[in-house]
Parts: sequence; structure tokens; C-alpha cells
Amino acid sequence: MKEWLFLVRRRFRSWATSLLTWLHGAYVAFSQWVRLVRPRLISFLFDWIAWVYLLYAGFSVHHIRTSPTLIWRPEEKFVLPELSPTGWIVVLLVTIELALFVRSFGVSLGQRAFGVSLAPAGGSGTRVAFPRRVLHFLASHLALASLGLPVLVNPERPWHERVAGVVLVPRARGASRYRPWWTSAYALTAAVLIGVTVALGWAVTDIQLGALVRDVGKPARLWRGLSRPDLSYFFTPHPMETDSIFGALVKSLFMALLATVLGAAIAFPLSFLGARNITATGPVGRLVYALTRGFFNVFRSIESIFWASIFAIWVGFGAFAGTIALFLHTIAALGKLYSEQVEHIDPGPVEAATAAGGNRLQVIKQAVIPQVLPPFLAFTLYRWDINLRMATVVGFVGGGGIGLLLKNFKDGGEWTQVGAVIVTFAVTVWLLDFVSGWVRERIV
Amino acid sequence: MSGEGLPVLGRLRRAFTLGLLVPAADALVLALLWFVGSLFFGFLLHGREVYFAGPWWLPLLVIVEGALLWAAWGRSPGMVLAGVVLRGSARGRFLYWALSHLGPVGAGLALLDREGRLPGERVGGVEFVEGRPTHRPWYRTSVGWAAALGMALALGAAVGTLQIDLQALLTKAPATVKYWQQVLRPNTSLLTLGIQLLIETFFMALMATLFAAPVAAALSFLAARNLTRGWIGRPVYLLVRLAGSITRSVDAVLWAIIFGVWVGMGSFAGSLALWVHSIVDLLKLYADQLESIDPGPVEAVTATGASRLEVIRYAVIPQIVNPYLSFTLYRWDINVRMATVVGLVGGGGIGFRLGGALTDFNFSNASMYMILVIVLVWAIDYLSARLRAKLA
Amino acid sequence: MAHLVIESLTKIYERGKVRALTDVSFEVERGEFLVLIGLSGSGKSTLLRCVNRLVEPTTGRVVLDGVDVTRLSPRALRRTRRKIGMVFQQFNLVKRSSVLANVLTGRLGYVPTWRALLGRFPKEDLERARRALSRVGLLEKMYARADELSGGQQQRVGIARALMQEPELLLADEPVSALDPATSHSIMQYLEQMNREDGVTVLASLHFLSLARRYGTRIIALKDGRIVFDGPPGAIDNAKFKEIYGEDAEEVEVR
Repeated sequence: MKEWLFLVRRRFRSWATSLLTWLHGAYVAFSQWVRLVRPRLISFLFDWIAWVYLLYAGFSVHHIRTSPTLIWRPEEKFVLPELSPTGWIVVLLVTIELALFVRSFGVSLGQRAFGVSLAPAGGSGTRVAFPRRVLHFLASHLALASLGLPVLVNPERPWHERVAGVVLVPRARGASRYRPWWTSAYALTAAVLIGVTVALGWAVTDIQLGALVRDVGKPARLWRGLSRPDLSYFFTPHPMETDSIFGALVKSLFMALLATVLGAAIAFPLSFLGARNITATGPVGRLVYALTRGFFNVFRSIESIFWASIFAIWVGFGAFAGTIALFLHTIAALGKLYSEQVEHIDPGPVEAATAAGGNRLQVIKQAVIPQVLPPFLAFTLYRWDINLRMATVVGFVGGGGIGLLLKNFKDGGEWTQVGAVIVTFAVTVWLLDFVSGWVRERIV
Repeated sequence: MSGEGLPVLGRLRRAFTLGLLVPAADALVLALLWFVGSLFFGFLLHGREVYFAGPWWLPLLVIVEGALLWAAWGRSPGMVLAGVVLRGSARGRFLYWALSHLGPVGAGLALLDREGRLPGERVGGVEFVEGRPTHRPWYRTSVGWAAALGMALALGAAVGTLQIDLQALLTKAPATVKYWQQVLRPNTSLLTLGIQLLIETFFMALMATLFAAPVAAALSFLAARNLTRGWIGRPVYLLVRLAGSITRSVDAVLWAIIFGVWVGMGSFAGSLALWVHSIVDLLKLYADQLESIDPGPVEAVTATGASRLEVIRYAVIPQIVNPYLSFTLYRWDINVRMATVVGLVGGGGIGFRLGGALTDFNFSNASMYMILVIVLVWAIDYLSARLRAKLA
Repeated sequence: MAHLVIESLTKIYERGKVRALTDVSFEVERGEFLVLIGLSGSGKSTLLRCVNRLVEPTTGRVVLDGVDVTRLSPRALRRTRRKIGMVFQQFNLVKRSSVLANVLTGRLGYVPTWRALLGRFPKEDLERARRALSRVGLLEKMYARADELSGGQQQRVGIARALMQEPELLLADEPVSALDPATSHSIMQYLEQMNREDGVTVLASLHFLSLARRYGTRIIALKDGRIVFDGPPGAIDNAKFKEIYGEDAEEVEVR
């Protein structure tokens, strides 16, 4: 009765096997092809994009500089230039020509990135004669005009390289060690790219060094508050507030403490599930590992302010909402650090404990935990530090504590009070940083 | 060397540590315990914040007497941190405890002693010696008990202070459904604007990192203990380190508020805030790296007759270039994350809009911005990790 | 006149806690191969480092060619140091730099500072580096990174660096302790060659008595910072050996 089932199964298995074999073969052939095509086609694209970026960045710098009110309309900082169709074609041709030119007459950025350079065919010497370079430059045009057909058809020895009598070889290590950087095309290109990027960044972020010097007196009341903090509301609450500065500070400290302790308590067991060397054995384990790590990664990148805002409407404004926000972020952040630590343990003791016949939990308790406890403790202290800083930020969007106080004072224009809060908070952070650094030094 | 007595500096150090620092640390720990205890019982019994319970003399008595008793009869936190134990008879300990009430006067008297002994040590025939008692699990040490008690009280007090209300988490959950629906339907019409803001945020982080690294690198040579010696070097070292640690404790968000008032809100203020914070943060990382370089090459290059600058150029810089680059990339990664947060308080970029959406409870806008931020953070995280792996 | 004179040298470390050297005096003639032996912590390294003042002696004098090294100004000290080559136990190469860059540091005492800071060494120095490297048989490793080399090769780079200084005196601080026996001999032979062919006075500290006997023309033994033996290699008998290394020691041969 079971014979047909067996047959079906075998049939199916042979089918599956041949399909898999074919897929694998195709994959290998494809990756081989990609490997050969990469240094030519993809590196050319890389070069071309670099030139396009160069032009566009230059244009954007000009555009932002000449439109003074863009600071209030960030959506108009990056616009497409208004060009006629001919203009677009000219831009296209110029960028392509530049890319091709550098690729033929020097080592371009793309070639350098993929670790290749031109060499004469036949394997004699490394210097490519000038006429060969000219030929390569011209032939590349045809290769590009046919949409890279020579490369796609014969990636190992494309037509335009055979014509020019050159070959693309892996870059020899140590051959050109002591050449000054400004004599190589790729370094020059990189320098220009960096320069343009800095110029673009300068324009985009509205850097005005003049304002920095000119307006140094603008926050005069803030300076006064910072240099002579008004501590009259240090213990007694400001008439408009419910918390005194001290009370709010205590709240923030407790927010950080509770979030860190609870977060660490949850992250601790999870971290073993997220450690490759502990969990990822067998398909179930690998799934658990991937899920845990995925959870860590997603929750780590969601800012706590986002959570704070959600929980502010969930459980109401205040320190509780802020604590939950910090707590969620702490689980993920600590979980990731912890599990990486677990992955980097010395495998020796684990082997010894396994050899002595321990099951997985026993091995973890005897061989893993003693190794990871001191670094875990250090990470946790470090996290408390961060959480305390984040507690201010979280307070801004409804998380309570000293951040809320700071926001209220700031919005109310009470700069002397803002100064007092900043000084109080900075001194606290400084003291705690000092103490936790000291303790960390002693336990690790 | 006991016959020769301690040199003046050693006496000063011993008197200062054992006579002042250790009791002060113990008193501080007990004061903290009393504080969290007051808060805890205040909420438990009265349901409100009580910072210091009892008549004013009671906590004072407990803190001061407790600290002195702890040091005389147990191993107090101050002693743990100083790495000393008290050796001597029960009678000696009693005499030590009695005389330790002299406080700072006792520390002063210790300076006059040839061995730098405190009066209590001399009279009682007891002695603080370096070392630790045989290892015990934490639950058999007084410090361990104090830490556990303190932690329990602190957690209890935190639950009270923060008005933790787990019921609200359950009962009010249905009210948030409509917001969750918004979160799940990000406002895609903001995509182009969001990307532009994202580029702005990216450049804020980039500019801050790029301009902070050279400043920090130059300063780091003044903040490395092994490179700053002599009468000029040491004060400069202490000054740079102190200034660095004070500046570092002012968070980037606070800097953003300051610069927002100074140069006006916008991405310039945000970049400046990140810049200042990156300088001091990188300064510490760089200087610590400098302090841990291999001294061998420095010795070897010095031995060839090279000048100080040449030693730095040939023995120090080759050792630090890659770690410095790696730290800078790491900082860039952090700055991208921080740029969002800094934007929230007026630093421009996508953080500003995200903060606005959050305070308006417009969660479909907020979720769109958040997704973009996550994409950027992941991309930079990946890129920075790849580049750092190459540098190692 | 003796090449190097050490006069009642004393070194006390760390606020009077450790006495590394106590009243050490001896003279070294030009062209000698002097070997320092003694247990770890007997003061060999300190003594060598006092000669070029990598360690400042507490009291006493070091006279090289009639010049008191201990009284030199920083500038004059650097000029003196460039005549004194040094080879280290841990090689002390800059691991991330190329072999060539490491060897060229040997010329830092000679080239002007601005040239050195820009990394533009004169042509003849590059030529000299080639010669030094081919002399220790590492010419083809010129552009390799120093940490790609084996221990013995790294020490040969260290020797090439010392050769670049064209030294009159070579200090070798346990040059072979980190190497295996076969490599040890090859390194010691390079030192011997420098001593015989270039007339460089060598001051080497060694762990093994057998190596000291094989290469030294004279042996000084230190114990707890004092000289307990000074004489030709042949004069160390079993009793003397026990005195230097302690009662329980056994002599080990390095072949």
C-alpha cells in the first residue's frame, strides 16, 4: 500500500534534486559571468555616476547659494536643472566621454575600486603605450554604443580590448607604492569628489561662519543663565511647573534606571537566542536566531522619541511613557551588544563543558555566563549613561522628567532657567560618567 | 623600606585616601541609601515624594556614624574602591572607630606620622593594608548587601516617582488603535520631501564628522598621557582632558538648543551641535588610542637620534592612522543617528519634521519620516561597518 | 682610550622602590663583543638603556669616546645617539609600516627634520637602505608590511635599521630571546659580522650562557644590579654559573 507513496516520494526527490542541481549550476555560471563583467561594466557605471554626481553637486551648490530663502523650503534645495533636450544630451555625452577618457588613459576610480588596471596584451611589462591607449579609448566608444555587447558576449576577452592590444589585469600590489597621490587619476578624482561633497554639504547645511561670530551675543540671556545659573527653582517648583529642577532630575535618573534594569533583564535571556554560536544549530535554531536578531535590529533603529510619542497618548503624558520608550529601545540595543559578546567568547571552556557531558543550559551556565558577565555589566552601565541623556530627549515629546522642564522653559523663553537646567544636567552627567567609568574600570 | 618611612608624597596620598576619600565615599553611599529609602517609604506610606525622612539629625547621625562603623568593622564601599582591608584586633577596631570621629583633623594628623598612619590606626594598633580578603560571593559581603538593598529601594522608589501604572497600559490600549492604523499607513506623498530632508540630515552628520576629526586629532596629542611629560606637558594634559570631559557631559541636544539660539534654528545649528560633541567624543577615543600604542617603536626610533617630532611622525602616527579612521567612521555612524534627534530640538533636517509630526500626533507623516530615517541609519551602519572591517 | 666607560652607574626606579643598578663600573675597548648575562630583572636592559639614555641614570657617568653622555643637552644627545645602534628583544618595528619605511628610520638622526617630516629621504639614503636590506637578505621584502614577516626576518629588519645609522657602538637587548634556536644563531652571526668586518663595538645582553660563550669576547654577569663576574668566556666555571643563576639552575645548550 505504501509502495506508490514511496515511488512518488522518490520521483519527487529526483525531480527536486535535478532542479536544485540545475539551479546551482546556473547560479555558479551566472556568478562567474558577473565576476568577469563587473570590472568592466559595473565599474564603468561607477565612473559615469561619479561624473554625473560631480556635475549635479556643482549645480546644486550653485542653486542653493543663489536662492537665499531655501532654508524655509528644504524641498527646493535639490531640483533638476532646467535644460533643453540638447542640453541633456550634451551633459550625457560629456559625462560619458570623461568616464571613458579616464578609463583609457589612467586608472579610474571605478577600476581602482574593483582592483584592476590596463596592461599590454602578451604579458610583457606593465606600461601601456600611448597609441594602444588611444585605440582603447576609441574602441570603447563602439563597445558602449552597442550597449556593452562585446563585454556581454565575451567577458573574458572583449572585442574592444583585443583591438587595442590591451588586457584588464588585477592590479599588482606594491608596484606603485611611492607615487605621490596627485599623479594618479583615481586619487585625483577622489579628491575632487570629496571637495565637491564638502562644498555641497557646506551649502546644504547653511554653514555661515559669519553668523557664528557676529551673533555670539544673541543668546546673551542664555550665556548669563549658563554662567550664573538661577537656582531659585532648584528645590521649589517654578509657578508654572509641577516639578522642581531637582525633582525632575530625580525623575530622569529613575527613568534611566528603571528602563536600563528592566531592559537588561529582558535582553539577557534574549541575547542567548540571538547568538549564532549558541542558537543557530538546526533549522529551528536558525529561525529563532534570525527572528531575535531581526527584532533587535528593527527596534534599535526606531528612535525612542517615536515610542515616547505613542505611549504619551497611550498611557498619558509623563515619565511613565518616557520610561517605556527608553525601555523598548534598551532591550534592542543591549540585546544586540550582549549577543555579539556571546558570539565572541572563548570556545575553549564551552568545548570542555560539552565534553564533560553538560546539556545546553548547563554549558551556558558553566562556560558562557562567567565569560560574559563582566562585559555585560559594563555595557549596562554604559547604557544607563546613554539612557540618562536620552531621557532629556524623550521628555521633549511628552516623556516627562528634566527634558519636559527644559522644553517648557525653552518654549517660554525663560533662558536663565534653561541655563540652570543645562548646568544641572551637565554636572549630573559628568559625575555619573566619572563614577561609572571608575566602576567599569574596576569590573572589566 | 619600612625603616625609612614614607616619602612626603606617599604620606599625603595615604592620608588623603584613607582619611578623607574613604569616609566620604562611605557617607555618600549611605546618604544615597537614605535618600532612596525615604522616597520608597514616602510613596509606600504617604503616596508622595519625601526626599529626606525624619528629623534632620537622624539621617545625619545614621550617615556619619554608619560610615565610620562600616569602615571599622566591615569592608566599606570606600575601602573596596581604594582596594584596602583593615587588619587588627577587636579592641584595636574599637579604638580606631572612636578616633575616626576626628575626621579631617585625623587626616591632617596622619601627615605628621612617618608612615602616614591615621591616629586611629596608631593608637588602636590596626592598619589598612592593600589587598582584598579571600573571595566571597556578593551576597556574603556588606557592600553586596548594600548594593542589593539600594537597588531594590531605588527600583521601588522609581515605580512610585514615575507613577508607573500598568493598568493604563491595558485599559487604554483600545484608544490607540487609530494611531497604530496611521503608523501602518505612512504618508507616501512625503517621499520626495522626506528624501531631500534625509540628504540634509546626512550632510549634517557628514560635515560635523569631517570637520571634527582633524580638530580632535590635533588635540589628542595634548590629551595623551604618554606624550605629554614635563612641567608644561602635564598641566596641558590635565587641562585638555578636564575641558574635554566637561564639554562631553553637555549632550548634543543641549548644544543644539544653545546653537539654535545663537545662529538661528536650522541645519547649521544642528551641524554645530554635532560638531562640538563629535570633537570631544573623538578626542577621548583618539587620546585613549594614543595612550595604548606599542611603546617599542617609539623607543627604537628615539634610539636612532630622532627628534620628538620625527618620533611622532615615524613611530606614533603609523600606529594610529587606521584606528583613528575607524573611530571616525564609527562616529559618523553615530552622528547620522544623532542628527535626527538633534533636529528635533531645532537642528533642522528630517528630525525637525519628525518632531513636528510627533507633537501633532500625525502618525502617518511620522511613520513615513521614521521609515526613511531607518533606511538611512541602516545604510550608513552597514557602510561604516564594512569600511571599518577593511581597516582592521 | 677605552671606547665606552661606565662609572659607578646607579639607577633607582619609582620613588626609591626598585634599585635596578647599583654602582656598576666597567670599560669597553673599541671592537669588543661584550656580552651581558644574568637572570631576568638583574638590570641588563636598564644598563643598556642607560648608555643611550633611553633610561636616565640616577647617578654615575657614561663616557663614550671621551664625551660624558649623561651631561649632554637634548640636541647633542640626539647627535650622539645616531652613532649608537640598537636592536631590541621585541624588534620594535612599526608593524603597519613597510620594511623600507622601518629601515629608513635609521637615518632620522642624519636627515634634516623638515625632510623627515615630509618623508622625502635623499636618494643616497634609499640606496643605503637597499644595501642594508640586501646585506641581511631581505631585499625582495622591501615593500612588504613589517607584520607580514616572521620573527627572524623582523629582527633582521631591526639590524638593517641599526646598519643605516653606520654605528660605532651597537646595543643589543636580548636580540634572540623571542626567536627559535636556529634563527638565533643566524641573527647572532649578523651581529658578529658587524663586529668583525665593520669594527662595531657590540654590547649585547643574552639569556643563554652557551650563546654568550660562543659569540662574546668578554662576559659581564649582573646579579641584582651588581657586577658579579667580568672576564673572558672561558673563565665561567660551574661554581661561577651557580653564583650568577642561582643554586637550582642547570646550563642549557642552544645549538
